[in-house]
Amino acid sequence: MRHFYILFVLFYCASSTSVLAQLDSIQKLDEVIIADTKLTEYAEGFQVRSLSDSILSRDNASLTDVLRYNSSIYFKENGYGMVSSPSFRGTNSSQTAVIWNGISINSNLNGQTDFNLIAPNSSDQITIRSGGGSVQYGSGAIGGSIHLNNEIAFRKNQKNELEISYGSYETSKAIFKSVTSSDNIYSSVNVSYINSLNDYKYLGEGIKNENGAFQKLNIGYNFGARFNNHVFTWNSNYFYGDRNFSSSITAPSKNNYKDVTTRNLLSWTLKSSQLISKFKAAHLFERYRYFPDKDKLLFSEGKSNTYIADYSLDYFASKRLKFNAILNYTLIDAKGSNIGSNQRNTLSAVLLMQHKVSSILSYGLNVRKEFLNDFENPLLISLDGKLQLRPWYAIKVNASKNYRVPTFNDLFWEAGGNIGLAPETSLQAELGQVFEFSNLKFNLNGFFIDSKDLISWRPNDSGFWQPINIAETQNYGLEVTSEYLKSFNQHHLSVLMNYSYTKATNKEKNNQLLYVPFHKATGLLNYQFKKFSSYYQVLYTGKVFTTTDNIGVVDPYWVCNLGAEYQLNTAHTPITIGGKINNIFNIYYENVAYRPMPDRNFQLFINFKF
Amino acid sequence: MNFLKKLSLLLFVTVFLFSCSSDDDVNVEAPNCEQAINGTIDICTILTEDPTDPIGLEDCDADGINNLTECQNGTDPLDAFLGDYERGILITNEGPFGEGTGTVSFISEDFSSTSGSIFNTVNNLDLGNIVQSMGFNGENAYIVVNNSNKMHVVNRYTFELIATIETGLDNPRNFVAVENTGYVTNWGDPFDDNDDYVALIDLTTNTITGSIPVDFGPEKIVTDRTSVFVAHQGGYGQNNKITIIDTSNNTVNSTVDVGDVPNSMVLFEDNLWILCGGNPNFTGNESNGRLVKLDLNSNNLIQAFDFGTTDHPGSLSLDDSNLLFNLNGAVFSMDNNATSLPSTSIIDGFFYTMTAKNGKLYATDAGDFSSNGTLKVFDLSTNSEIESTVVGIIPGGIYFNE
Repeated sequence: MRHFYILFVLFYCASSTSVLAQLDSIQKLDEVIIADTKLTEYAEGFQVRSLSDSILSRDNASLTDVLRYNSSIYFKENGYGMVSSPSFRGTNSSQTAVIWNGISINSNLNGQTDFNLIAPNSSDQITIRSGGGSVQYGSGAIGGSIHLNNEIAFRKNQKNELEISYGSYETSKAIFKSVTSSDNIYSSVNVSYINSLNDYKYLGEGIKNENGAFQKLNIGYNFGARFNNHVFTWNSNYFYGDRNFSSSITAPSKNNYKDVTTRNLLSWTLKSSQLISKFKAAHLFERYRYFPDKDKLLFSEGKSNTYIADYSLDYFASKRLKFNAILNYTLIDAKGSNIGSNQRNTLSAVLLMQHKVSSILSYGLNVRKEFLNDFENPLLISLDGKLQLRPWYAIKVNASKNYRVPTFNDLFWEAGGNIGLAPETSLQAELGQVFEFSNLKFNLNGFFIDSKDLISWRPNDSGFWQPINIAETQNYGLEVTSEYLKSFNQHHLSVLMNYSYTKATNKEKNNQLLYVPFHKATGLLNYQFKKFSSYYQVLYTGKVFTTTDNIGVVDPYWVCNLGAEYQLNTAHTPITIGGKINNIFNIYYENVAYRPMPDRNFQLFINFKF
Repeated sequence: MNFLKKLSLLLFVTVFLFSCSSDDDVNVEAPNCEQAINGTIDICTILTEDPTDPIGLEDCDADGINNLTECQNGTDPLDAFLGDYERGILITNEGPFGEGTGTVSFISEDFSSTSGSIFNTVNNLDLGNIVQSMGFNGENAYIVVNNSNKMHVVNRYTFELIATIETGLDNPRNFVAVENTGYVTNWGDPFDDNDDYVALIDLTTNTITGSIPVDFGPEKIVTDRTSVFVAHQGGYGQNNKITIIDTSNNTVNSTVDVGDVPNSMVLFEDNLWILCGGNPNFTGNESNGRLVKLDLNSNNLIQAFDFGTTDHPGSLSLDDSNLLFNLNGAVFSMDNNATSLPSTSIIDGFFYTMTAKNGKLYATDAGDFSSNGTLKVFDLSTNSEIESTVVGIIPGGIYFNE
């Protein structure tokens, strides 16, 4: 009840304040380059929200933590730090695409990204794009997509940052970042390492999280150079994760997963006044190894190599009308203990158009068609529009057809893999309203998603589980995002809130889908005074169902965290010290049935900039 | 005894049980009967008034057995009230795959009531993850919980917990008892073909006292008391053997190649019938299902029936002298003396598991495996469905309390 009251008060403050126009925060300096321009350039009618640096620096243990507390996306996490899969607008775990510098990095093996295997601090910008994005980003962008971008900035700069933290469950963490750049050359490196015993108490159960230890290492490197009209960039990332998988209350565990991913992207851009030509080549590698007994050497594994060649041409027909044509060839080569050795070729052609009819109306039309691969490839279309009715009020609409191709596991798994599968398809529509005043930003979105041919593993007549295109779902809901800023004297206050209502039903049974909460809310209250700042995070997750007859449930929960930071006054080397208390009310909660989450825990950090 | 009499007795017993079963005391006192029965039946009342009355030699609890003491203390020692879960069907439900707990459901003999999660109801405890199977010895039931690596020992009629065995089990699958020794098949590490074993349990202390290493993938286990027969279905892979363990010294007597993927066995007269599913298609080495007959005196195969190459039967069961099995979404029945496999089915349906008993076929449907399943009962004289009731998630074992 107390939490409801706090939220209510925050909301009341936020909504009763007077307001003025504000500049678009996404506006960028000319010399900053991100590899993926279509994220913002061809998305007028879509909700695109970038998370601030302060958010990224505070929840830097995993991408799950970043998004769980700062968006409407729900995560099904099998105990803290374990496999974490998203549900964006009630869609399943392989229907949220994760896009790294413009390239989808969802696993070719299971179609999803484990959000605990992404180091958030290796990206300069994390952006949430809501709604269908398959035309732009290919398979899996159904609920929405998460974009991890590195910025390459050509300006004179030299900065280094080191952060070391230590906390409960013997959790130690170190992050190092270094940027060296000039007007024509950019080079940055980032390294992060986290190691945790993660042996938190199961409150009230008298046992601990026995097999939950993990360590993760991420190394990123980004390079850029420009000569005349040419820009060359190289983005590179290496990740290694070594995790034991937690016991549940009912079952002990002694297994272990080891994951390795590498990503490399080269791009060459040539600019003229009316054209931007960009050639990209990329290689992605992923490998998991599953050890049923961590003390033995026996394992099963799966791995895949993805090779991408991509050509994009932007054409500016006028100041108001622009086109982008993309031709992409992707070769995936996957091998595994259970999937044999298989390949997939895909050639895709994409055409994007953006037309700014007037200062009030703009719209976009986007089309994608794929060839070569073994599926029936639907023509994907997306339409979006924006109506800027007042400086402070805009309406955004979009509608799209999206898809997800079967994964290598779906197709080739022994036993059950079904090579006759077709892609999942979904139709969706969204209506958004954006209010932007000087102190207050407010978004209200309604969405509708109708999906069919969803791949569902079911037992066949021979008793084997086999994936078939059978399930149909319908999701609709409402999202509210608001951001309120207030300064007086040297006090700065900001309040960020997200609330979502999601009704996602299986048409066969007309029941709510598994692990999709009807309600989710987050709140973040920031307060800063001179060199001191503190913040309070609130997360509410409503009831979720664990069985398709909606009999089994996981109870709703509130979690609250409190953090504070202070910057010491040192001449050229700012040092910040701070700490955070997670789950300050020490409540027992489960995110997945029979898998308790951590009790109250602490983190301390020290950060040097030099 | 004619049918009507049987029926009226059954009704009486049911009324009696349900009237008194809420009492904590297993030995139901006569005054309780009087109150509970509330005048509708007055046998107990009469007897309490004068326990020495020769009328006491009548069948006070109407179980068809006349006994001197039954009327004196309100119960029949030969037919004492044994617990809430006496006389009915017990279903082990594996529970949701991955997380959570399995359960045991109880359905009364007459299908008038179904109770879910009876172990939890009685003991306020979860059974654990993936309730694989259950075995019995005397009044005890042994519930094998695969993923939790444990077994719960309970009174089969009250479901009160007696002991939990937590050490010495590694991916336990199935249990059988001979005298005071329990035998439990264990996969060990499913990726290790060389660590599979049969654990030995001292049933007087409920502790694991030893283990017998066996070939990989031991699954179903049955006994004729002289020997214990272990079918090597092959875990996540495929195997093709049975192991015969001599119960006098608990050593492996022999292993016999029977056919690929032996998945179920029944004992009948001097034979062990073994149903082999065959290697499934995805292995790239598909092989036919096979039904074989092992002579218990010689431990030799004396008969084998081959199915079609793409036919993979399962769930062998015995009804009187007929063998039943499930194949391609249908149930088939064959006389144990038949010289060929049956060509026509008797019942349609793919069942997660099935068991025949006293002219009825009990079969479970696990639905989508993510919600409660169903138990269906077919009358084998007409092959028609006569009962259907909702049980727990993934009902994988069917057992009977009589």
